[in-house]
Amino acid sequence: MSEREQNGNSGCTRRQFLKGGVGVPLAMALAGGMVTVPFLKRADARGFYLRPPGAVDEKRFLGACIRCGKCVNVCPYDSIKLAGPDAGVSIGTPVIRPREEPCYLCPDLPCARACPSGALDSGLQEIEKVRMGTAVIVDRENCLSLRGLRCEVCYSNCPLIDKAITIEARHNERTGVHSIMEPVIHREKCVGCGICEKTCVREKPVIVVQKTPPKLEDHYEF
Amino acid sequence: MPLSRRDFLKASAAAAALAAATGGRLGATEVEAAEGGIRWGKAPCRFCGTGCGVLVGVSNGKIVATKGDPAAPVNKGLNCIKGYFLSKVLYGKDRLTKPLIRKGNRMVEASWAEEMELIASKFKESITKHGPDSVAIFGSGQWTVFEGYAAAKLFKGGIGTNNIEPNARFCMASAVTGFMTTFASDEPMGCYDDLDLGDTYFLWGANMAECHPVLFSRLIDNRLKNPNVKIIDFGTRHTRTSQMADKYIRFNPQTDLALLNGIAHIIVRDKLYDENFIKKHVVFKKGKTNIGYGLEDKFKFADDPKPLTFDEYREFLKPYTPEYVAKLSGVPAKTIEEVAKLYADKSRKVNSLWTMGFNQHVRGTWVNNLVYNVHLLTGKICKPGENPMSLTGQPSACGTAREVGTFTHRLPADMVVTNPEHRAKAAEIWGVDVKKIPEKPTYHATEMFRALDRGDIKVLWVQVTNPFQSAPNLSRYRKGARKGDGRFVIVSDIYPTRSTELADVILPSASWVEKEGFFGNAERRGQQWFKMVDPPGEARNDLWQLMELARRLGHGKLFPYKYPEKEMFEEYRRFTGGGKDLAPYDAYVKARGLRWPYVNGKETLWRYAEGHDPYVKTGEGVKFYKNKANDGRAVIWARPYEPAAEVPDRQYPFWLCTGRVLEHWHTGTMTGRVPELKRAYGAAVCELHPEDAKKLGIKQGGKVKLTSRRGSIVLTADLRGRGKAEKGNVFVAFFDENKLINELCIDAYCPISGEPDYKKCAVKVEKA
Repeated sequence: MSEREQNGNSGCTRRQFLKGGVGVPLAMALAGGMVTVPFLKRADARGFYLRPPGAVDEKRFLGACIRCGKCVNVCPYDSIKLAGPDAGVSIGTPVIRPREEPCYLCPDLPCARACPSGALDSGLQEIEKVRMGTAVIVDRENCLSLRGLRCEVCYSNCPLIDKAITIEARHNERTGVHSIMEPVIHREKCVGCGICEKTCVREKPVIVVQKTPPKLEDHYEF
Repeated sequence: MPLSRRDFLKASAAAAALAAATGGRLGATEVEAAEGGIRWGKAPCRFCGTGCGVLVGVSNGKIVATKGDPAAPVNKGLNCIKGYFLSKVLYGKDRLTKPLIRKGNRMVEASWAEEMELIASKFKESITKHGPDSVAIFGSGQWTVFEGYAAAKLFKGGIGTNNIEPNARFCMASAVTGFMTTFASDEPMGCYDDLDLGDTYFLWGANMAECHPVLFSRLIDNRLKNPNVKIIDFGTRHTRTSQMADKYIRFNPQTDLALLNGIAHIIVRDKLYDENFIKKHVVFKKGKTNIGYGLEDKFKFADDPKPLTFDEYREFLKPYTPEYVAKLSGVPAKTIEEVAKLYADKSRKVNSLWTMGFNQHVRGTWVNNLVYNVHLLTGKICKPGENPMSLTGQPSACGTAREVGTFTHRLPADMVVTNPEHRAKAAEIWGVDVKKIPEKPTYHATEMFRALDRGDIKVLWVQVTNPFQSAPNLSRYRKGARKGDGRFVIVSDIYPTRSTELADVILPSASWVEKEGFFGNAERRGQQWFKMVDPPGEARNDLWQLMELARRLGHGKLFPYKYPEKEMFEEYRRFTGGGKDLAPYDAYVKARGLRWPYVNGKETLWRYAEGHDPYVKTGEGVKFYKNKANDGRAVIWARPYEPAAEVPDRQYPFWLCTGRVLEHWHTGTMTGRVPELKRAYGAAVCELHPEDAKKLGIKQGGKVKLTSRRGSIVLTADLRGRGKAEKGNVFVAFFDENKLINELCIDAYCPISGEPDYKKCAVKVEKA
C-alpha cells in the first residue's frame, strides 16, 4: 500500500473545489478530517506542521491564518493540503506532507504571495530565505549512503545542492578501497522543502524535515 | 526486501562459508543460506560496465533479495542505488510473458511455434527475394557472451550476412577504433587497480560520480588516503563529478581535440617527453583529414595512414599553441600549460579516464587516439597506477559486443571479416564453408536503421536493446520501421518499450539470472552466473530464440550442443589466445571474475607490461605485441581539430548534450519499473544556465521548448539541479520513454567508428 493510501486522502486539496470560495476549504477539511487521522498523528510525530514557505512563527501563524485556502489554490504541484479536525486549532490550515508532495520552491513563491492575511510572508522574494524546517537524517543505520552504497538521492535532488546538502567522503574501513559518501545537511542553508524526504528510496524515509531547533546563544565567534 | 545490517552480515557469512565448502562454486542450485530458506547465487550486476558482483537471493522460485557481493573484487559488497534495487527490475507488473503478433493495430497472443514459424518464413522469404543482406539483427552490450556468439555465428556463418550490429556501436565503437588504430588490439591495458595506485586522474567527458558510481567512490578513497592525489575534470557541463574534482576545466564542445593537441604541443615544445620510450615503443602516423560526418545515407570512409617522423609530428603540433587552443576551447592558456606539465610530471602517476564525451563524438576515434598520444609521449602507460582507461556503459559491451564479433566488420577476438585468414579460422571453428562468411562489412548501426528506412533491409530482429528510443535522429528511424512494404520488425524484450510498440512480432525474453550468463566488464574481467529462477509465463531465453530460428532456417547444425552455454564458450575460446586468452568455463564458475589474458592459471592486470603480461618477454619492459604490422609499437597519430557536424548558429543558438543520471540506466526500461527510482527521478528535465533562462523568460520548474532541425520537445526547466549547464548549453537525460530527446539528436557519426555524436547538436530554446 502506498503511503498516500495509508494516510488517507481527504480530497480537500482539490483545487477545483476550492474555487468555490472561502468557507469551502474549512468545510472540506472538516469532512475530510474524518479519514485523515493517521496523517495527523504522523504530523504530530514529526513534532510540528510543515507549513508553506514564508509561514510566520507557528503561534502567530495560527492567529493570522484565515483558513482561506488561497495558498492551496495557487500551488502548481498540489503540495499544500489542509489540516483536518484532528489538528485542533490547526484545522483548515495549510500543511505540506513531503512524502506525498514536497514543496518544489517555485521561484516566485505563489503561495506566499497569495496569502491575504500575513500568515505567509507575501514579501518573501528568495527561495534561499525560506525556512520551513530542517532536514535531518533520523535513521543513520538505514541510510544506504552511510552504509557505503552510492545512493545520495537526497543530495542529488536537493534544490540547494552543495549548499543545503553536501557530500563528505570518508574512508570505508570495511572495503578498504572505497569511500563512504555521507550526505551532510547544513542547517543554515536548508529551507525544509522536503524534496529529500520525498525522494529517499527507503520504505520509511531516513531523512525527514523537522522543526528547526532554535539557535542557542553563546559568545563564541565561530 | 531491504536487509538489516545484521541479516546482511549473516547472509554474507553463509554465502562465504558455502563458497569455501563448495570450492567457491556459487550456483543458486547449490547454495542454501543458513536462514530463511533463501538460496544465494553470484552474478554480475545487470546494469553498467563496472561489473559489480552481487549475490542474488532466491526463495520459492523468485528473487527475493540482492546484495553486493563482499567477495567481488570490483565492488567488495557495495552497489549503487540501481544495483541496490536489482531484485525489483524483473518484476514490473507489465512484464511480457506471451509471444505477440501484430494484427492491424493490435498485438495478439500467439504460441511460440506460430511465432517462430512466422519469423522463419519472413527470413526465408526475404533472403530468397532480396538476398541475405536484406535480413539483420541488432543486438546489445547486454547480450550474454553466448547470445552474442550465437548471433554472430548464425548471421555470419549460417545466413551468410554481416548484417549484425550491437547497440555498442552507439556507445563504445570509438573506443574500439581508438584501441585498434593505436594498439591493434581492443580493450584497455590497465584495470581498476589503477584507481587505487595512481595519483593524478584526468577525467574527459565522464560523469563518473553518477555513471560509474562504485568506481568513483574508489577513486575518491584514493584521494582520501593520499593528499597528493589530484582529480581534474574536463567537461562541457558541471556535474557531480566536477563538484568533487580538485579542478573542473570547462571547455567548448568539440575542442577536446584541440586541447589534447595543445597538451602534446607543450610536452614536445618543452621536451617533457620520454625519449627512450618513444624510440622503443612508438611510431608516428597521419591519416586523412576533413573526413566528413556521415550525414548522407551509405556514407563510406577509408583512412589512408601515412608514416610520419617525430619531426613531422612536431610540425603538425606547431599550430596548437596554448594561445590558439585557448581561443578555440575557452580554457585559459595558463591552465593548458599547467595541465601539460601535470601530465608530463615524472614524479606523478597519471591516468586518463573517459566515457561517452569522447566516444559519442564525430571525431571519436581521433580523440581516443589523441589521449593515447599524450600517454605514449610521456611513457605513462602499461604501468600499475599509470594508464589511459576507457570506461564502459553496458555490462558486456566489452565481453560480448566487442569480443565475440557482433559488429558488422568483426569476427570473434579482434578478428575482422576483411582478413581472409581470419575468415578461414572462423569458418574452420564454426565448421562452415569459408565462402559463407562475406568479406565485406555491410551496415553499422546508424546505416542499418537507414537501410531499414530505405527498404534495403526488410527483416530486422532487435534483441536486448531499445533502439527506437536510443537511436539518434529518431523520428526518421521510427517512421522507417513502420513503412510496411515487406518490412518486418521483431523485438525480443522483457517489457513493453518504445521499440516493442513498433514491432510486428514481440518475443517475451528471459533476463539476467533467469538464464545462465556471462558478461565481460571494462577491465577485461569475465564473470559467469547460473540460472537461478525461471522466467515468468512463457518468456524464453534469447539464446534459445536464436538457436530456434537457426533450426527453422536449416542452420541447426551450427548449434549441436547439449549444454549450449558451456560448449559455446569453449568453442569461442578456440578463437582466443595470443593475448586474449580466456580461462576454461569452469574457472569462471569458481571465480568472482577473471581478467584476460588468462595464461597458466593466472589473470593479467596490466597488458603489454613485463612481469604482468605473460606475452611480454623478460627485458622488453613494455611490448605492444599485438601491433605486428608496426613491429610491436603503438601509433601516435597526427589528428587535427575539426569542428562538430552541427554548431550553434543564429537560428539554433544552443548546444544540446544528452546523457544519464545516477537513478536510471539507459532507456529506463528496467529502472523505470522500480517505484523507488521513479520517485527519486521521475521525468527527464532540461538543464539550463540561469542567465540563459533569465534572458528567455524561463523560470525554474517552467516549461521550455527545445527545437532542433529534426524535432522538438517540451520539458521542465531545471536551473539548479545536480548538473549545471554552461552558458549556451542545455542537457537532457535520455532515459525517459515519454520524452524522446533523441528525436532532436543529429545522426552524424565518426567516419572511422560509425558512432553517432549524441553530445553535440544545435537547438533553439524557447519558453513554452
